[in-house]
Amino acid sequence: MRIALLLGPALVVIAALFLGGVGLGLARSFNYMPIIGLDDPNLDAYAWVLTDEDFLLSFVLTFHIAFTSTVISAVLAIGAALVLRHTFVGKKVITFLFQLNLTIPHIVGAVGILYLFSQSGFFARIAYAAGAIERTSDFPALVFDPYAIGIILQYVWKEVPFIGVIVLAVLQSVGQDYEALAQSLGANRWQRFRYVLLPLIMPGVLSASVIVFAFTFGAFEIPFLLGQNHPVALPVLAYRSYTDVDLAARPEAMAMAMVITVMSGLMIYAYVRLSRRYLRAG
Amino acid sequence: MTASNQSSRAAPAGGTRDGRRDVIVRWAVISLLLTWLALPIVPLLIWSFSFRWFFPDVLPADYSLRAWQYVFSPTSGVLQSLRDTLLISGGATLLSVIIGVPAGRALGQYVFRGKSIVELLILAPIIVPGIAVALGIHVLFIRYGLANTLFGVMLVHLIPTLPYMVLVMSGVFANYDTSYEAQARTLGAGPIRAFWYVTLPAILPGIVVGGLFAFLVSWAQYILTLLIGGGRVVTLPLLLFNFATAGRNDITGAISMLYIIPGVVILLLSARYLTGNASAVGGLGRL
Amino acid sequence: MVKKRVFGTLLPSVAALAMMSGAALAQSSDEILAMSWEELVAAADGGTVNWFMWGGSDSINTYVSEWVGGQLKERYDIRLNRVGINDTVEAVNTVLGEAEAGVTDSGSVDLIWINGENFRTMKQADLLFCGYTDLLPNNRFLNWEDPAIANDFGTPVDGCEVPWGRTQVAIGYNTANVQDPPRTVPMLLDWIKANPGRFTYPAPPDFTGSVFVRHVFYHAAGGVDGLLGDFDQAVFDQVAPKAWALLNEIEPFLWRGGQTYPNSSPALTQLFANQEVDFTVTYEPSSIGLNVMNGTFPETTSSYAFDDGTIGNVHYVGIPDNSPNKAAALVLANLLIDPEAQFEKALPDVWGERTVLGPDRVPAEWAARFDALPRHESVVPEADLAERSLPELSSGWLTAIEKGWIENVGR
Repeated sequence: MRIALLLGPALVVIAALFLGGVGLGLARSFNYMPIIGLDDPNLDAYAWVLTDEDFLLSFVLTFHIAFTSTVISAVLAIGAALVLRHTFVGKKVITFLFQLNLTIPHIVGAVGILYLFSQSGFFARIAYAAGAIERTSDFPALVFDPYAIGIILQYVWKEVPFIGVIVLAVLQSVGQDYEALAQSLGANRWQRFRYVLLPLIMPGVLSASVIVFAFTFGAFEIPFLLGQNHPVALPVLAYRSYTDVDLAARPEAMAMAMVITVMSGLMIYAYVRLSRRYLRAG
Repeated sequence: MTASNQSSRAAPAGGTRDGRRDVIVRWAVISLLLTWLALPIVPLLIWSFSFRWFFPDVLPADYSLRAWQYVFSPTSGVLQSLRDTLLISGGATLLSVIIGVPAGRALGQYVFRGKSIVELLILAPIIVPGIAVALGIHVLFIRYGLANTLFGVMLVHLIPTLPYMVLVMSGVFANYDTSYEAQARTLGAGPIRAFWYVTLPAILPGIVVGGLFAFLVSWAQYILTLLIGGGRVVTLPLLLFNFATAGRNDITGAISMLYIIPGVVILLLSARYLTGNASAVGGLGRL
Repeated sequence: MVKKRVFGTLLPSVAALAMMSGAALAQSSDEILAMSWEELVAAADGGTVNWFMWGGSDSINTYVSEWVGGQLKERYDIRLNRVGINDTVEAVNTVLGEAEAGVTDSGSVDLIWINGENFRTMKQADLLFCGYTDLLPNNRFLNWEDPAIANDFGTPVDGCEVPWGRTQVAIGYNTANVQDPPRTVPMLLDWIKANPGRFTYPAPPDFTGSVFVRHVFYHAAGGVDGLLGDFDQAVFDQVAPKAWALLNEIEPFLWRGGQTYPNSSPALTQLFANQEVDFTVTYEPSSIGLNVMNGTFPETTSSYAFDDGTIGNVHYVGIPDNSPNKAAALVLANLLIDPEAQFEKALPDVWGERTVLGPDRVPAEWAARFDALPRHESVVPEADLAERSLPELSSGWLTAIEKGWIENVGR
């Protein structure tokens, strides 16, 4: 009873808003929504979406963005956390600056990346001043580009501190005893990392990576600001369909939203499986 | 030269040279990292004061306060937008604390049937992107008149903020010793007094950290606000977006600066809790 | 379970509270149309208008918020809430969403800056308040006999919106980089091929990208005459392949080798400002002057209209049928076509846009003042535009051309 009282409000909010949203989206993706007079469900939207070339291209692009961003961020974050964990002068200040990035919204980062990396951006200007390029088109296309480099740069910029802070916290709670023990047993640096530290931090890294993957898979504003015109990331495609003045396109938008949801569901599943395995191994 | 030679010769075999290389590598990595982290902010700051900054000029041809004047002009709507954004994020954070702390306690201290399902449910909104939820719930919000209102936007921001709060608090309560509370009760304190004088001080660092995350998550929301706010609720990211897509780099730069300040201030105020509280941050990592 | 029910009943009541502040008295279309102007002004007194408009120009924002908002407050005690949006379609979508959810008299949009396909969509879906133009005292300054005003991209206005401004496509370039710009569409196509990477246009359905493609379409059709009137599939099938061939031919010579296009007109503006391309295409010639003044474009920027003509249009403001503040919206619409408001807007350092009022309809003193308006030196002279003006096509054509471009050129 006490538990129910404590949990009640949170569950009501999540059930009403979150499950409500997903449920209504699911219904609408079947073109079913009695309150607005749609009471004849069908699978047309899925049939259309799943055979649409644009959708498939968008899906591949979005997966590439999310996967690449997550892997690069996680690797860099582990490296950064390993360097930062030792105590030395100024560490507090540096860790704080590291966290500072957490507070800077993605949009600001995206605009910053745009001003830095576009073909007429800060780096292009420096390259010009150095005589490395003669005109803007000589500078490599890093934003609005087919490989989504600008988008990935932005995510890496933002997510390294996020994963890093979590890994740091885990490392701090672990302490140095295991490592010292391993060292006394003759383990070299790589072995200490691979067999002692990595298993310890892996659950933290994985859970953070799941959050990052899901976020980068479902984020709208960054690919909208830094992505090329075609193909676009899935959330952008879904938003375009949703705001199409032809209301018939809305079920398609919802179907895309459901694909994003299912993808996130797979992530949750993968996370639970992986973390359990690692926890057992660790 | 000689001094360093001597010292390295004097040092016990290899240890210091290795140590010194470590220090150099460490500082190199740190400076590289911090430069990279700070870098995107630099052009925004310069743009906000620039006038005529054309390719290939590395620095603006002229400087001006025009963008800042526009930002602070009473009719540009930027300051109202700052106020609304603070209201929404502050409100969403407060609601998250009120609803999330009890839920965190339930998850952190009790074992009950269906707990893993509850945990999964609370975890899900962090993983499932806002756009997937918002498209579905939009029609309901319109129907109940919640769309296009500050309150509606605040409410929809709970979807991503509340889970963070609950997760952080469940981590805090998992390490929380209830015996003090019980002691206070046996000494005659009522539940409210016991909470206020015993529980609250103990969990306050956790609330600060959870609140910090909740605030930042709400502060950065774009798509939920755009859809549910329907253009009527203009938070800073929406305004920023308007000018960024319109190519007004100077005003975009100025709004960006204004937009990042509150988050930085709040982090400054709560940093000591964040670094000193591994279990709270760990709550995030553990999910 | 109990909690859930409480929450369920709480939700709508909080919502009702939230809505009270917005609209105290909903105003139905019939009630409004039965009023005299004086009654309307009295009904609007102390109210608020939520005007949804593209918000990416600080000059336009400042004119609307400061001059229009100030006058509205001073003369009628009405508060103007300028709602800046990225794209007009967002406002249309808000109204559509409300209509779909059954919100018929407490919508959130009172006025939209609108034209073209957005207008057609709203008119066809019966989402606009219509038939009020005769109520507006300043309506007498408008020349409704001008087909360019009475039709919005081929869709008859039918009293469902009020004209606000008149624009025409212009080409901007930097005289420091290009000495002898191509003066016609075919010359431009040749120039692009001779100067790889220095030209691009926004991808349709962007408004400006779409109008650029129409210029090529007119050229492929050998003139606009055969394209006027309702959409004609046979003519389209004949002209379209030629137009796509022309556009595909220049594609490898565009910015980024035509692999991608700017997403929007402002993105093109940005590329031009940064000298990534040598030309910008704009549906708002005054914006070139504004961009020079605000430091986005260099002072050496100039602009012109093609000798074979550029497309012009009129843009309007419309009132959604579910607006709860129709009286105040009407007062605002009337203020916008006041000669004083139009003159202020036409000043080059305010906005610099041509007036939509009929020169022979406004009092002689105003006609003289409009004639004597200064021009920003980077902006193409009004006479050049006037003698090179081409009509817009009807919306059916627009949709077909945009769709055809995406399928045959964009992909």
